[in-house]
Amino acid sequence: MIELNLQFLSFMAAAVLVVIGLGGMLFLDNLIKKIIAFTLLSDGVNLALVTLGYVEGGIVSILEPGTSGAAFPTNAVLIFGPGIVLTNIVIGVSTTAVLVAVTMVLYQRYGTLKASKVLKGERK
Amino acid sequence: MNESISNLWSIPLFIIIPILAAILLNVLYSRKRAISVTAAVSSLALIVVSVLSPFGFHWFTGQPAVLPTGGYTYRADLLGWNLALEYYYGPLQQIAIFLASVLLLFVVLIAINSLKKNTGTYISLLFLTFMSAAIVIMVNDFYHLWIGVEIGSLIVAGVVLATGEAVSQKAALKYTFFSALSGAGLAIALALILGVTGYANISDAIIAMPLNDASLASVLYVAFGFTVLSWIYAGGLAPIHPLKADVYGSAFPHATILLQTQSKLMLVAIGLVILRLFGTLPFAKEVMLSVSVLTMMIGVVMAMLQTDFRWTLAYLIVSHSGLVTLGISLGTVQGIIGGLFQAVNDVVYMSVLLLACEGIYYFGRGTSIKTVSGIAKRAPWLAVAAIIGAFAASGVPPFNGFQSEIILIQASLNYGMPELAIVVLMVSVTTFIALFKGIYNIFLRPDDAPQAGEKQGMPVPRMLYVCLAALIFITILFGVYPQLAINFLNEAALKVVYIPWVP
Repeated sequence: MIELNLQFLSFMAAAVLVVIGLGGMLFLDNLIKKIIAFTLLSDGVNLALVTLGYVEGGIVSILEPGTSGAAFPTNAVLIFGPGIVLTNIVIGVSTTAVLVAVTMVLYQRYGTLKASKVLKGERK
Repeated sequence: MNESISNLWSIPLFIIIPILAAILLNVLYSRKRAISVTAAVSSLALIVVSVLSPFGFHWFTGQPAVLPTGGYTYRADLLGWNLALEYYYGPLQQIAIFLASVLLLFVVLIAINSLKKNTGTYISLLFLTFMSAAIVIMVNDFYHLWIGVEIGSLIVAGVVLATGEAVSQKAALKYTFFSALSGAGLAIALALILGVTGYANISDAIIAMPLNDASLASVLYVAFGFTVLSWIYAGGLAPIHPLKADVYGSAFPHATILLQTQSKLMLVAIGLVILRLFGTLPFAKEVMLSVSVLTMMIGVVMAMLQTDFRWTLAYLIVSHSGLVTLGISLGTVQGIIGGLFQAVNDVVYMSVLLLACEGIYYFGRGTSIKTVSGIAKRAPWLAVAAIIGAFAASGVPPFNGFQSEIILIQASLNYGMPELAIVVLMVSVTTFIALFKGIYNIFLRPDDAPQAGEKQGMPVPRMLYVCLAALIFITILFGVYPQLAINFLNEAALKVVYIPWVP
């Protein structure tokens, strides 16, 4: 039986965000909504990465004086996940900026935000 | 050159030089002379560093994961704490980065000569394209692999947008949207591998991989799936090949040289990582081979249907990516050597064809095989260059494409799959037909509008002649003396097959 602990619930929340984001990117026609869906997808991935490092009853991953060297690696939360999240946030912002910039240029050219019309080259 | 275990100072230069050049070129913006000097000096510096740098590691977290002897430094009691984020520079990386930096020099010189405004920003993007390729080919950890692929896709969008055409803007939009999906997929794969093995370093992860634990098999397959997705995306393989073909077709032809070089290096790097990490999983090679065959077949068929020479080349680049991945996917020493050699040759002969395409644009004010004709009369040297490039791409001896394709055919036969050899032959023949359809119409068909002054071409940058001559020389050199390149590739192929944990 699956145990409903914090880590499991957090993974489920991440999965929901990823599915909503993926669905939005694939099936919504408005370019701005697609970009918002991408940010949801990115947030889902970030949540999954943070959750990965969770340790039940764990300690902060800073080796303080007096902490047992042997116990530290097994008790401290995995620091690499949050490290990746930090990078993913930066990459997400850059990707969003590029997407918004291209969307603006295409809106000026075609006068619409509908992906179906823009990609066919139809004006509003 | 002997491998060094010291933390090599020269390896970060492949990242630092392009970043500094990009910052400086952005500041210079439109001062052409200063941009020319900065770009040329930076590209030459990269060439020099690639030749002079010793082989070895550069690591960021205290110690390397693997010693040159094959020994192994990770400590089981520090599970998950030995990050060992590292770059490796070996013979494969040397030839790949040397070739990419030579092409970077050619491309920036042509771009400076042909563009009128905002040159600094555009050239800085070309440097960053090189940087992303260098990261991915040297990397031995998932973190940098993921960052390299992500940065690379954003820069590709910028390079494509530089043409300012509607088709480029649409191609960039589609490509960036898919990069968001693929990047998220690679991040999830990274997270899963980290969760299963506890290591971000590829060498560490291979050793710690729980291949016999049935309860983790599904996790490994999901990680494999997401990594293959990013491989397909970064290399423009089927079924998302139209995205990459759009990118190649809508960028400036000289920029496409660098874009296709970046794609080939990413294909090689991610392909080798997949093989090292997941090569022993059942069906892994079969999935990779299926993707390769699909890419080759769809690419050449689409190339045959095009009526614009630029788009013919765009689809042929995609199709020939399948040749590279076919060799890697076989997973044998001969196959991997064939795949790597094909990547090197492909980059060179496609660059010849793309520069010829740029020349056609200057002479004919377009590249459509319906409207441009009779160029051979005005530019016989360009016709010769295009024909040499077409022969090399079709695998005709004594050009370089022949040497790598014959290795791929032999590797397929030795692997016990003659049907793959037949596909390679079919791709060669179809490439020949697709290219010579374009070459005949553009160069040899009598000019439709011979009135004087009606078809005055634009002035051709002199640098184009020099670059074409140099690339044709390499095409013939690798065709006559294939060992010059193969000697650099042997070691990487042997390591992947026999000691996969060693980068």
